[in-house]
This record gives sequence, C-alpha cells and structure tokens, in this order.
Amino acid sequence: MLWVDKYRPKSLDKVLVHQDIAENLKKLVTEQDCPHLLFYGPSGSGKKTLIMALLRQMFGASADKVKVENKNWKIDAGTRTIDVELTTLSSTHHVELNPSDAGFQDRYVVQEIIKEMAKNRPIDTKGKKGFKVLVLNEVDKLSREAQHSLRRTMEKYSASCRLILCCNSSSKVTEAVRSRCLNMRISSPTEEEIVKVLEFIGKKEGLQLPPGFASRIAQQSNRSLRRAILSFETCRVQQYPFTSNQAIPPMDWEEYVSEIALSILKEQSPKRLFEVRGKLYELLVNCIPPDIILKRLLYELLKKLDSELKHEISHWAAYYQHRLRLGQKAIFHLEAFVAKFMSIYKGFLIETFG
Amino acid sequence: MGKVKRSSAIVISSSDDEEDKDFILKTNSSYSKSVPVRRTRKRVNRTPLSDSRSRVFQDSNADGFDVIKRFCEDFDQGFPQFKASSGSRRNTGLWVDKYKPTSLEELAVQRKKVDEVKTWFEERLRTSVKNSYSNVLLVSGHAGVGKSATVYAVASNLGAQVHEWNTPTPTIWQEHLHNSNSGIRYTSKMDEFESFVERIRKYGLSSMTRTSPSSIILLIDDLPVVNGKFAYGRLHRCLHLLLRSVHLPTALLINDYGKSDSAEYNTRYWEELQLSLLNAGACKVTFNPITVNSIRRTLSKICRYEQFEVGDEQIDLIAKASGGDIRSAITSLQYFCLKPFPVNSQSFSKSSVTHPEEDMDKNNHLNGGICLPFGRDETLSLFHALGKFLHNKRESGILSEPDRNAILLKDKFVRLPFKMDAPEIVLCQAHGQTRAIADFLHENVLDFVNEDAIDDAWSVSSYLSDADFLLGTLGGTLTRNFEAENIIQSAAASIAVRGVLFGNAHAVTSRWHAIRKPKLWQAEQSLRHNKCQMVSEWNSIHSSSKLCKFSVIATEFNPALNWLGYKVTKDSESQQVSTAVNNGEDDCFDNDTCDDEIEDW
Repeated sequence: MLWVDKYRPKSLDKVLVHQDIAENLKKLVTEQDCPHLLFYGPSGSGKKTLIMALLRQMFGASADKVKVENKNWKIDAGTRTIDVELTTLSSTHHVELNPSDAGFQDRYVVQEIIKEMAKNRPIDTKGKKGFKVLVLNEVDKLSREAQHSLRRTMEKYSASCRLILCCNSSSKVTEAVRSRCLNMRISSPTEEEIVKVLEFIGKKEGLQLPPGFASRIAQQSNRSLRRAILSFETCRVQQYPFTSNQAIPPMDWEEYVSEIALSILKEQSPKRLFEVRGKLYELLVNCIPPDIILKRLLYELLKKLDSELKHEISHWAAYYQHRLRLGQKAIFHLEAFVAKFMSIYKGFLIETFG
Repeated sequence: MGKVKRSSAIVISSSDDEEDKDFILKTNSSYSKSVPVRRTRKRVNRTPLSDSRSRVFQDSNADGFDVIKRFCEDFDQGFPQFKASSGSRRNTGLWVDKYKPTSLEELAVQRKKVDEVKTWFEERLRTSVKNSYSNVLLVSGHAGVGKSATVYAVASNLGAQVHEWNTPTPTIWQEHLHNSNSGIRYTSKMDEFESFVERIRKYGLSSMTRTSPSSIILLIDDLPVVNGKFAYGRLHRCLHLLLRSVHLPTALLINDYGKSDSAEYNTRYWEELQLSLLNAGACKVTFNPITVNSIRRTLSKICRYEQFEVGDEQIDLIAKASGGDIRSAITSLQYFCLKPFPVNSQSFSKSSVTHPEEDMDKNNHLNGGICLPFGRDETLSLFHALGKFLHNKRESGILSEPDRNAILLKDKFVRLPFKMDAPEIVLCQAHGQTRAIADFLHENVLDFVNEDAIDDAWSVSSYLSDADFLLGTLGGTLTRNFEAENIIQSAAASIAVRGVLFGNAHAVTSRWHAIRKPKLWQAEQSLRHNKCQMVSEWNSIHSSSKLCKFSVIATEFNPALNWLGYKVTKDSESQQVSTAVNNGEDDCFDNDTCDDEIEDW
C-alpha cells in the first residue's frame, strides 16, 4: 500500500493539517444535521481525506465498507432514453461518483442519482428517517446545465440527502450552488506542515531523516501533500539511508515540459513550433491534462525569462487557459500560446541584441 | 434556329413537318437497317420508339397516346405562356430520351473515341469467338458524356444486338418482409450480379436470347454498389472471372467520379478496380467531357426540332454550365424552355434585345457559376480546397489604386486580392465539415509559413484557436438549436479559412507539398485508449479504496508508481480495454483516404 493511503488520517481527530477545519466539521456533525458542503482547494490539500473522515464521523465504521461498481442508468429524456455508465463507490450511507465523466450527459446523472437515492432512504436504529450522503467529485467540471439541475435537485430532495461537493476551483461552480452549500476552503498545506507530516511518516516507518531533507521534498512538492508523500516514498525506494543532498526524482512529464520550454527558448520558428506540437501531443496522449501542461510550461518559461516580459506572457497564458476551457481541442490553444510566446520572445531578442 | 422566317403559322408547321420527317426517316432507317432490339431497358422512361411513333401519328389517336396527350394538356394549362409559344405541339417525354442518338453521326462524343470503340467492337465481332485476347472494354468517363449512348450507337451501326445487364430494382423493406413471408429468399444485388456473370460465362447468352447469337454486345452499365472491403473483393473476383472467360464482346461502363466529387467515398475502390482490370488485359477508353461546342450544336439542333427560339447566348450558357455533361445540358434546355419565356416575333429579328434575365444569368455565371437555375454546381475535392487555402495564391504586383469608398487599412493589414473565389464559396464547393477542415488546416499550415515569420504563425494559430472556440460552444448542450449551430459552424469555418489566408502574410513560394492527415485524430484516439486503460488499471489495484481523478493519477501517482517499480497485471482488464478501444475506433474517421498528396495547384 502506498504511504499516501497508509498514512491517510482515518478520523477527524487524527488529521495533521487543517486541524481547525476538522474540529469545526466535527462540531457541525455532532451537534446538528449537517448542511450541504462544498470543499474546494488545490489538489493535494486534503479535501478527500477530510471528506472521508467526515463520513466516518457521521456513520461510523460502516462508511469504510465501500464497493466499487459500474452502474448503468437508463434515463428517460423525453423522446429517447439515454444510457449512462458511471463508476460509483458506495456504502450503505453514501455514494461517491465523478459525474463529469458522463460528459455532456452529466446533468441527467445528477438528477437521476439523487432521485434514486431519495427513493430509498435508510432508516436508522431509532426509526427516524436518516439521510444519505452523495459525494460528487469535480463539480467544477460539470457543465453549466448540470450545475443548474444540481441546484434544483438540491432543493427538492434536501430532506432526504446531503451533498458533499468537491472541486478545485469554486469559481467554476455557479453562484446558486455555492450559496446553497457551506463552503469549506481547503488551502494547500504550508511547507512546514508538509515537513511535519513527512517527519511523522518517517518516524512511523522508522527512517532516519537527515536535516533539511524533508524540507527539500516539501519545496519540490509544489505544496501538494500527496505529491510530497509520494516523492518521499520514491526517495526511500531509490536510496536509503538518505543523504541530505540526495536528488529527489522529478515527475517524468515535468521533465518533458521543461525540455519543451528549453527548445522553445532556443529557437523561434514555425518549424520549431511544429516540433513542439509533436511533443505536446505526446504529453496529451499520456493523459496529462492540458491546463496542467500550460501551467507547468508557463512556470518553466518564466524561470528563464526577462522580468520585462513576464507580465505579458502571463497574460497570454491566462488568456489561452481560458480558451482551453471554452474550446474543444486543447492543442489548438496550447499551440497558439507557444506561438504567441515565440513571437514575443523573438521580438524581444531582436530588440535587445539586434 | 433563328433563321426560320416565320411569316405565318402554317409555313412553320410545314417546314417543321419536313424536318420531322427527315428525323423519323433517319431514325427509322437506322432501326430497320440494324434492328437493334432492346430487350432490356434500364430506365423506364427511355422510350424512343414510342416517341417517334407518336410524332408520326400525331393526328390519329393511337392507343396509349391519349394518356400522354392528356397529360400534356394539363401541362399546357399549367403553363399558358408555354402553350401560346409552342402552339399545338405536345411535349412528350424527356428530351434526353427523345433525342437519344441512334447513329454514329448524331453522337456528340469525340469522333476519335467513338472510332476507338467502334474498331474495338468490329474486331471482336469479326474474329472468332475464341480469341486469345480479352473481350472486355472499359469505358470510363464522367456521368453524361455519352458512354452508353456510344455503345448503343456503335452496336446499331455494326448491326449488333445489345444485351444489357438488367439491374435489379432495389428491394424495399415491405417487399422484403412480404417475400420472406412467402418463402422467397432475399438475394443481394451482388449475388444476382454474380450469378449473372456465372451464367454468361458458362452458357453465353444462348439461354436468354432466341435470336442467333451471332453478334451480341454485352453491356454492363450499372455495377452493383459495393461497400467495404469484403464486397469489393467479391466484385473484383467476379469481374476478373468475367474478364477471363467471357466470349462476348463486353462493354463495362464505369462512372468516373474521382476528380470532381469528393463526396463519393469509395472512388478509390473504382480506381483500383479499373487498374487491376487493365492489368488483367482489358482495354480502356476514357471519355472526356463533351466539348462546349458539340453540346451547343446538339442543343441548337434540338431547339430546331422543338421549334423553340432560344438565343445563342443561352445555349452557350447552358453548354458551359453543364460541365461536359450532355444529359444535364439537354435537361437544362428542356427546363429552360418550360419557363414562361416570351418568345414573340419581335425578338426574332435579331437578338439585339437581350433579356434582362439572360444578363443576370450571365453575370451570375461570371461570379462563379453557382446561381444558375440549371447546370451542375462545380464541386471541389477537400484536398483541392485545402490546397487553395494553404498555398494562399494571390495576385502578384502592386495593389491597384484603392477605391475612394474602400476602407483604408494600415499597411500591415493589407493583403493582395485572392486568386480564387471567395473562401466561403470554395468551402461550399468542397462541402467539407468545419471540424475536419479546421483540423486539416491546423495540421498543415505550418509547412506553408515562412521560416522567419513566427508572427504569422502566431496569428494563424490564434485564428484557429478562435475557430475552435466557436466550435467548442457547440458541444456540451443538449438543447440543440440547429439554426444557431449552422451559423456558428459556418462562421467558424470562415474564421479558420480566412484566418489562415490572412495570417500567412509571407507565404513561402509554392512548392510541392504533401498534405498530412491531422495527427490530432490519432492523438485523440490513443488518449481515449490510454485513459480507459489507466483508469481500469487503477481500479484494479485499489479496488476498494477510492475514486480518483484521472488527472491526479496521470500526473502524480503514475510517475511515482513507475519509480516504485509497480508492475500491474494487465490480464484482468485487457478485455475491458479492448472494448474501450473499439468504442474509440467507431467514431474515428477512416483515415486512409486522407493520406493523399496534392501538388501545387
């Protein structure tokens, strides 16, 4: 088992980061019926961990007994029936799923599942009607229509089920949905917190950590706890005992992106642009999401850029990231960004060096 | 045509009668001389004999003629002007059938080609039945260039009898149900063709004809339509068998869509087929499109027979618009003459008074020939259109003095005028899908951008990004507004194409380029595959733990797992993956056709 899973805190009492939030959540659940919740924050900050711990707090150990199934829904949409297949993770008390996997049929999924859950409500020991919890991941990837239908169903079935929404950016969730939820902002853990967690794991595993080693991992992790733990484990596999100047293995795709950045900086021509396109395809084919590529590429480019240009380049990166979201084919926009960068950078080079 | 002086109606009818008689005589003589009995008729309304007869007995009410006459009366009532101009003439049937050439002289096909066909048939008919060389002649050419007409005319000239492969009528579903209830098994057209070929090979035509098989020409006009590799293979085998063992001189007519019709998907099959048949020893005659002059001549002749006064310009226009397709030219003429067109005596004097319509037509013709009420729209292949866009041909030299009305542009926005139609018209002719066009342009445009002009590359890719953005707004909604979608689609296409044309300001001097198929398609396909595989692998490892975003898996877990040396057993999910791949393939295009190469247009 990966350390990420092994050392995932199982209850709200045991969390190492976001202890205050955990405390609040605990109070919320024990004192009263909990409202709908919206967890948002960057990846690797501990949203899912908190959610799992919260579920356990609510339902006890039975929340751990989950099963994965590929569910098929037949949805009657006016003139035709739509078949939707989704992987769900469910226990007796909750269902978890990624509705955005259903593509543009996501709104049917949302409606249908909530309806179905509302139909068979569990009855708890006191004979009181309990509620089920529906965990929806990646709510920000839902289409606008799905979010609207989510809103309506939330209101209609609020008596019988609670929603826990989870996403990276709340700005992509409609205002209506946000206002119906208790928003929980889960920030990235600070480097100190990450170091604390790493040291905790090191102690549990009985490892000798040279001074400064944990903080180096934390620095490289981009403030993602998951990443930090993963690279900690890879370091352990790579070389033990640790040395303080041990190289931390980078992610392969990140290396590839920095390669791309170098080749962009080396030459700016349509031919090079074409080569870059090929490399971008390579990344995309390996399932690296385009916006992450763009972000990383910008990061790599900014490292080697004159401060004069940074502002402009960042502007264009933002512009094309927006385009990326609106458009259909990522490569068009990624390439447009690269072309724009080349064009600006070449102009700059000619201006300064003649 | 215009020469006929019309002093009174009586004079005209007499002169016409003479001509009619000539015509009938001619046709009759050719019939009596050669006696080509058409045992099979492909089209129902190909009735030349009854036509000519109806002309002869125009006063005596022969049976069967009544119907036609009544029909024509209705027709005339519908077009009072037409009636006035044509007087008591009736208009029986289509002119295409009525004026079907029956002798070699009447053919509008190139003399040389006709002779080629004729000599080939002569040789085959003269020599003994068992000769060493093959008995199949491939006649290829565009639709309506007179392939079958030539064969018939040659046959009648040589006094041979044409036996045509009788294309079975398509079976409709109800019919099929009825048949299967009554125990008749459905046979595909391919099966029927195969058995026909088999019969021909084994028994010749003796089983089907009562006349002596001295001079029979076998005509296969309609090859069964094949779809897919398997059916193609069958047709291929079948034709090769025919080629090897047929004893009768056989003409195989092949419609040559290839160059003009990009919509025709399996043209490549036909080309391959032709090639392999040629290699197997068949002869081939390719018919060129009929020249404008001969179409014009034919049309004038028809006008003369039909007593319509149609101006030279109009005939010229029809002839040009038909694009070498005489069938469509004649039909256009007939349609044209149907129009309530004021044929009054004043306009006969000399066509100094041109009709306003005609002028309009002419202008339209100059504007690209797409607004004519008749004639064929020009089609372009997708590659031709892409080539036009990518090569970005413009007028050379300095810009002419700008109009005072024109908007003044900064120098950097000024481009030389196109050396082609407006991009939208070209798009229209190529009838490509916006998405595909954008993908193709995206894939190939960088080859055409000057090596130093990275700015151009940016502006091109920014326009393509705009186009993609527009197309992206289409997806994701279920309540579809088709009207809006259409507009968005065409706007996106226009932006993509014009963006490419405008952005590529310093196009490289044209040289030979191959157009690649978009790598994007392949990338998307493998992305889908990888994604499915990754998710299923992930689920199999952590079967009970949790759902995870695939992006997290891809960016964080997998690299780490690679380092940790995790090896995943793939047996369990291999099946799942393969189904996923199949799904992926379904909505991918068959990319084979896209590997064509184009030269500098």
